[in-house]
Amino acid sequence: MNGLDLMPLFRGLLWTITLTGGAFLIGSVLAVPLLLARRSRVWLVRFVAMSVIQIVRGIPPILWLFIIFFGLGMGFLPVSPFGAALAGLGLIAAANMAEIYRGALSSIHFGQFEAANALDLGRWSTFRDVVAPQAFRVALPTAASYLIGLMKETAVASTIGVTELAFHGKQMSQLTFRGLEVYALVGLFYIALSLPVAWASRAADSRLRARVAR
Amino acid sequence: MIASDKTLIRLNGLSKHYGRLTVLDGIDLEVKAGEVLAIIGPSGSGKSTLLRCINYLEPPDGGTITVDDIVIDAGNPIGRAALSGLRRRVGMVFQSFNLFPHMSVLRNISLPQERVLGRSRKEADARSMQLLSRVGLADKAEQFPIRCSGGQQQRIAIARALALDPEVMLFDEPTSALDPELGLEVLAVMRELAKSGMTMIVVTHEMGFAENVSDTVMIMADGNIVEKGPSKEIMRNPQHERTKRFLRAVHDR
Ligand SMILES: Nc1ncnc2c1ncn2[C@@H]1O[C@H](COP(=O)(O)OP(=O)(O)O)[C@@H](O)[C@H]1O
Ligand SMILES: [Mg+2]
Repeated sequence: MNGLDLMPLFRGLLWTITLTGGAFLIGSVLAVPLLLARRSRVWLVRFVAMSVIQIVRGIPPILWLFIIFFGLGMGFLPVSPFGAALAGLGLIAAANMAEIYRGALSSIHFGQFEAANALDLGRWSTFRDVVAPQAFRVALPTAASYLIGLMKETAVASTIGVTELAFHGKQMSQLTFRGLEVYALVGLFYIALSLPVAWASRAADSRLRARVAR
Repeated sequence: MIASDKTLIRLNGLSKHYGRLTVLDGIDLEVKAGEVLAIIGPSGSGKSTLLRCINYLEPPDGGTITVDDIVIDAGNPIGRAALSGLRRRVGMVFQSFNLFPHMSVLRNISLPQERVLGRSRKEADARSMQLLSRVGLADKAEQFPIRCSGGQQQRIAIARALALDPEVMLFDEPTSALDPELGLEVLAVMRELAKSGMTMIVVTHEMGFAENVSDTVMIMADGNIVEKGPSKEIMRNPQHERTKRFLRAVHDR
């Protein structure tokens, strides 16, 4: 585009991808123990897990990043902007993914567990062969749309100085005084990121559907 | 009709409560190897709970369960080995089939064999195909359950349970979710299974099956056994007022 140097935006894109992917990965993994805790037989464990989920989801992401970066970071736990953003968004993703997993699990018919028990499949096989594949199918579209949401959410990391897409957008618009063009371009970058996710999710979903409904 | 004198299942004082509700009120029951026992009775009388206690899908509160050489004292926590031992000897078929919807028909039958009995995929598939032929569905092996009718799904569920070589099969209203016609094909499979000498406990509303296929009929009401005896005698000449009333009600429908 006439005279704009796009390199910074591409560098920012890389950080946006890294932050999104990292936070999503952390969230997807941490959500498992969180969900197990939420379904624990011990009342206190359940209560703590539910509180964590509510608190993490109840506070705006930007505030979480401030708490981690300016609060914890300036005090006793020095942390880089990227580290703080990854930790904060990872935590938020964990709470959200735990809820997504929970919804997927509760969609599985009671009879599936009953049949697995009657066949004596055992806990592990029941999970791996019966529950997980069905839950995965249900969770997939929700998780994919959450991933897109998370990708957009990473823009808050610019406020603590992570040099991702929004950060470079702001910098570039201030340098060039061409805010409209620059931010439109940044917007296009975000859309370009979300499209493949949406497309892949839809393709996977219809493939899985076709397998059962053949 | 009963092939042997060996008692395969023995329940002593089996009881189950949900809160203050007594669902099983100390059930004593013996089933011989090769016997086909039909359980009938009004809804809510504890028939399903009884079946589900026998394989510990529902842990009973008291009494003992003996199946083959496995003895379980319901008062104590059950060990993993006893639970496995019990479930391997007992196969179960549900009213709602409960096939795994994300697996092919063949996989539904083969996977448990691999996981539970350690059979190889090849062995398991061979056995599955043999059972599918037996229930008349060899051509459905590669389909997914959703593409099969209810009657077909129930026959597949029967094959899946049989694939683990159980000593006894429990059926909880296997035809209640089916149109009468589809129910017939399931009943035909069960009749053949009974002829082959399988020990069966069948909760059913099919009075024809109770009278003509089962050896013994038992009537339950309010968590108790009202009456039990040879099927023809019970169905044609019930002794207890409660049984007469139930059979009349079924008849009048
Ligand atoms: N999980 C449960 N919690 C509470 N009550 C139950 C539960 N399962 C069954 N019951 C009650 O136990 C009684 C017997 O139920 P069930 O064994 O299903 O009867 P049947 O199969 O003869 O219709 C009913 O009154 C039913 O409401
Ligand atoms: Mg019932």
